[in-house]
Amino acid sequence: MQRIISLADVKSEDFRLNAAHNRALVAELKERQRAARFNRPERDLERLRRQNKMFVRDRVEALLDPETPFLELSTLAANKAYDGEVPGAAQVTGIGIVAGREVIVHADDGSVKGGAWYPLSVKKIVRALDIAIENRLPVVHLCDCAGGYLPLQAEFFADRYYAGRIFRNQSILSKMGVPQVAIAMGHCTAGGAYVPALSDYNIIVQGTGAIFLGGPPVVKAATGEIVSAEELGGADMHTSVSGTGDYFASSEMHAIAIARDVIARLHRPSKTSIDLAASEPPAYNASELYGIIPRDARVQFDMREIIARLVDGSRFHEYQPRYGQSLVCGFARLHGYQIGILANNGVPVSDSSLKGAHFIQLCDKNRTPLLFLQNITGFMVGREYERGGITKDGAKLIMAVSGASVPKFTVVCNGSHGAGTYAMAGRAFDPRFMFTWPQSQTSAMGAVQAAGVLTHVKARQLARKGGRLSERELESIRASILEEYLDRSSAYYASSEIWDDGILDPADTRNALAIALSASLNAPIETPRYGVFRM
Amino acid sequence: MAPPKRSRKTGADSHEIVWMTSVCANYPFDTILIANRGEIAVRIIKTLRKLGLRSAIVYHEIDAGTPAVAMADTAIAIDGRTPIAAYLDITQIIAAAHKANAGAVHPGYGFLSENAAFAKSVVAAALTFIGPAPESIELMGDKIRARNFVQRNGFPVVPSAIEEDDPATFLYRARAMGAPLLVKTSGGGGGKGMQIVSDLGRLEDAIAQAHSEGQRYFGDGRLYVERYIENPRHIEVQVLGDCFGNVVHLFERECSVQRRFQKIIEEAPSPALSPEMRKRICEAAVGIALAGRYRNAGTVEFIFDGAQFYFLEMNTRLQVEHPVTEMITGIDLVAEQIRLAAGHALGFTQPDVVPNGHAIEARLYAEAPKRGYAPTTGKATVLEYPGGNGVRIDSGILRGQQITTAFDPMLAKIIVHSSTRLEAALKAYRAMRELVLLGCETNASFLMRILAGEAFLSGDIHTGYLEQNPHLAAGDADLSSFLATAALLTREIRESADAVPELHAAVGSWRN
Amino acid sequence: MKHSLETNGIEHQLWLSRCRGGYRLSLGDKVITSVAFAHEGDGSGVLSIEGESLPVRFLIDRDIIHINIGGTTRVIRYVEPLRARSCAFAQTNHLVVRAPMPGIVVATKVSPGQLVYTGTPLMVMEGMKLETIIRSQREGVVERIHFKEGENFERDAVLVSLSEGVS
Repeated sequence: MQRIISLADVKSEDFRLNAAHNRALVAELKERQRAARFNRPERDLERLRRQNKMFVRDRVEALLDPETPFLELSTLAANKAYDGEVPGAAQVTGIGIVAGREVIVHADDGSVKGGAWYPLSVKKIVRALDIAIENRLPVVHLCDCAGGYLPLQAEFFADRYYAGRIFRNQSILSKMGVPQVAIAMGHCTAGGAYVPALSDYNIIVQGTGAIFLGGPPVVKAATGEIVSAEELGGADMHTSVSGTGDYFASSEMHAIAIARDVIARLHRPSKTSIDLAASEPPAYNASELYGIIPRDARVQFDMREIIARLVDGSRFHEYQPRYGQSLVCGFARLHGYQIGILANNGVPVSDSSLKGAHFIQLCDKNRTPLLFLQNITGFMVGREYERGGITKDGAKLIMAVSGASVPKFTVVCNGSHGAGTYAMAGRAFDPRFMFTWPQSQTSAMGAVQAAGVLTHVKARQLARKGGRLSERELESIRASILEEYLDRSSAYYASSEIWDDGILDPADTRNALAIALSASLNAPIETPRYGVFRM
Repeated sequence: MAPPKRSRKTGADSHEIVWMTSVCANYPFDTILIANRGEIAVRIIKTLRKLGLRSAIVYHEIDAGTPAVAMADTAIAIDGRTPIAAYLDITQIIAAAHKANAGAVHPGYGFLSENAAFAKSVVAAALTFIGPAPESIELMGDKIRARNFVQRNGFPVVPSAIEEDDPATFLYRARAMGAPLLVKTSGGGGGKGMQIVSDLGRLEDAIAQAHSEGQRYFGDGRLYVERYIENPRHIEVQVLGDCFGNVVHLFERECSVQRRFQKIIEEAPSPALSPEMRKRICEAAVGIALAGRYRNAGTVEFIFDGAQFYFLEMNTRLQVEHPVTEMITGIDLVAEQIRLAAGHALGFTQPDVVPNGHAIEARLYAEAPKRGYAPTTGKATVLEYPGGNGVRIDSGILRGQQITTAFDPMLAKIIVHSSTRLEAALKAYRAMRELVLLGCETNASFLMRILAGEAFLSGDIHTGYLEQNPHLAAGDADLSSFLATAALLTREIRESADAVPELHAAVGSWRN
Repeated sequence: MKHSLETNGIEHQLWLSRCRGGYRLSLGDKVITSVAFAHEGDGSGVLSIEGESLPVRFLIDRDIIHINIGGTTRVIRYVEPLRARSCAFAQTNHLVVRAPMPGIVVATKVSPGQLVYTGTPLMVMEGMKLETIIRSQREGVVERIHFKEGENFERDAVLVSLSEGVS
């Protein structure tokens, strides 16, 4: 495989300015992540200490094998919701190694609102369990949840993907033979009680852990019975009387040691075998990505420069290099695994769509997972393009993306707009994992055009009522619309709403994808099968 | 009686010891009972074999698997409330001697070796006691009488206050000598019942404690206090006396490397003595022995402050460290003890005893220097002693033997002989390095650190050396190699490493 | 959760990870980039540690490994995580006084049912030619004395059990 020869001028002023800009964005990302992970009101931390509970991050670190990676997912979930008071949606999820097994970790963060489930908490847990199902990953639940946040129950209780889905997913995992281990480290009340109950194995921590459908106050209100939490659903009772709990732990660390021992007993599934070679670092330094990603989102850049800093040895076998050049397709290796890459290099037109649809089918037949690198403004519009069949060619690409049975991975590198979002394996197309870069924008239409359209609509509404706007008024309306639009297109908003699985420092992308790729191979790859391609 | 053979090899690198003692003496007994155990019992049996005598041994059940019991021609079990009590049971031992048809009893060191009542009982049972006359044991066993005896005969002793001289003024007299002082019990020895008092305010407490310890260990609460000579060297002289009034010395040993008054490395000759001082100290020892009409093997111990030596005590038995003397003189001390006890005259005179080269002994203990020399237990599952020219091992344990705290923690002595002190030190270090004992913690690496230390190599040591250099006991801070080995050999640790997928192991502790 | 190896009463947290040609050892905050062990027959082998090769003799006795490198022997114990974690709990709650070294009981100073305070002498033991007074580390009531005068015990043996005192 040929090595990509980078044409980036790392000494140029442009490169330097880009680098400064992107490094500042990454610094901001890291700071926001740090705050979401660790900034807590002192009284909450004090309460944990009083209760003799470990901070959720320490629990997760103790659970994981040392010296192994942890791919944390949706760290900034809910960062733009609930006035920012529910960092990480009060949940920690991710893929880590426990006793040598790849597992999904799901941990309630008791330092945020007592670990209460908010609507986005539920969405984050459901997503983590979806990942477990899709990739057949065992799950470790570190339960410390006081129950759902009642004032918002309408947004998380009843609907198909609301809280019930957590328990449904747990049951499906069990049915699939994918084990779950739960540790009750706090009170698991009401629905939360089912998380340990539906896990194949569970452990209860003496003193702090408890499982019950209604806690002591609820019991007292309902029947007048006065009972302590320990007596009602504590470790001793559940592990010796009810059988709801399997293992009695004398401390959280003891519980974690038991969980690790349980996981070490699990059957080690044989992974789907795909083409694998010895890993090799890229020939170009990942930190150069900062100088390559333009500081102005509208400036075009060559995606091969990105690929050169992601893949093994910067080697890339480009498919159809002379055809449909606005979509770069080709084979590469990532930590030794062969992947097929589709990367936008301009506005997609008919030929690039046809090339993409063809390449996807090649990879699917070849058992080669697919990586989509998005930088897409939406398909080309106009009479000439419609006559050339751009819609039916775009439909072919969407049909191929939807139908491909190999694992798909999507990184929103820059813009992700319009039908391009879909055709490049957006969230709705079930990529196994989807990540965004800090400066990326996701929206139905580019911000400036959209603001123009929306301003125009607003002016017309006013005109119908006989109003008339001055140029200055129009400009101010446009500015406020643009501001809101940009905010809602931002990676932070996407991540807050869990449209992605997290925002990545571009330099971390290679490792994140490698871990995701490895995880995806725990599930078998089905035989390729497609719907009808409109020819 | 055949003259002694001076048939020692003189080649520079050949240090094989050829005993100069005649082996064709007549003995009034053909079987000797050994009232001891461990390495010294083995050591005695070896000489008995060489002399063509039969060996009998008493043993407590706990020692049934030890080499001495296996080597002895006859082994007779004895018992007691504790294993130690069995070896102190005079009645059982005398009975065993009769049962084994023994004509003599060798007490070794420790246990009953300096018990005059035992010596008397042996004689009363018409057996030969291989050691001095009971009167000598009594005299020298009473530290206060011994000290007065030596002083009376014109030999130097350390200034002291003796309680029984006038109990009412004892404290006053002790205090008047000024700090630092050493509180000793009259019956004490081997480090027991000794306390240094550097703050006179503590003197009264120390005396009270010594009373209690003396009473408990020796059934004798009498005390004396002497001027504590700081950082002295411990030098002792080996003497042999016959029943015809002849006494010779076999030169000195230095035993200044001590931990808590317990010798751990001994050597001969002492690097601290000038030829003139050596002559004086050896002659003093002979003088003391002559004055006491001493017969058999004995050791006169002195402390030496670099300019002056003072009588400390006389041990009326074979010493643990006797092999270094054997190595440099070529004289088998156990054989000599037997000859002398059998009533023979000394087979050689002072000019016949010519020291050759340098010998060092290191005592291998089942103890953890790092944990305050706490005794250790275990099983000597792997036991490999060093070998080669000039390396002698006096061991009381066998591979696979259980090591308990029932007795003294000494497992073996590693003795080396070379032509110079420096060579001997290096040889001792190499020998300790080659020694492998797995299954029970020992002080082996501690001994290595001492042997390789600047102070030891330059001969600049004294009895406070180890206390003043606690790093020697603490050992190396760097455990990396040991922990790495343990990690690689621990199944759980290796398995958890092997379980991590290659990719994740390569990525390491990455966080996004 | 790291593994723990204990020697001379000190626990060392460590973790082994695979790397090219052997293992990497994280030891406290230190990383030893390359370690490997080649067995050479029973109980001996060669440790390679950062390019250096050291002959090793070893003996494995359940959780205890005796290792001799260059004449120095260390006794290292694998701290079994489950037992250690549940023991940590048991020790704080069952109030036991353990022997600091092997030895023999010289005298017992208390009797069952007696109220003791922090520092109350419980027992006089003798080990390594020294009398050591075993004192209570806390307030409580003597529940049981596990050894009689004259009896031998090993290091870490439970000498006296206490129960919570009436407050």
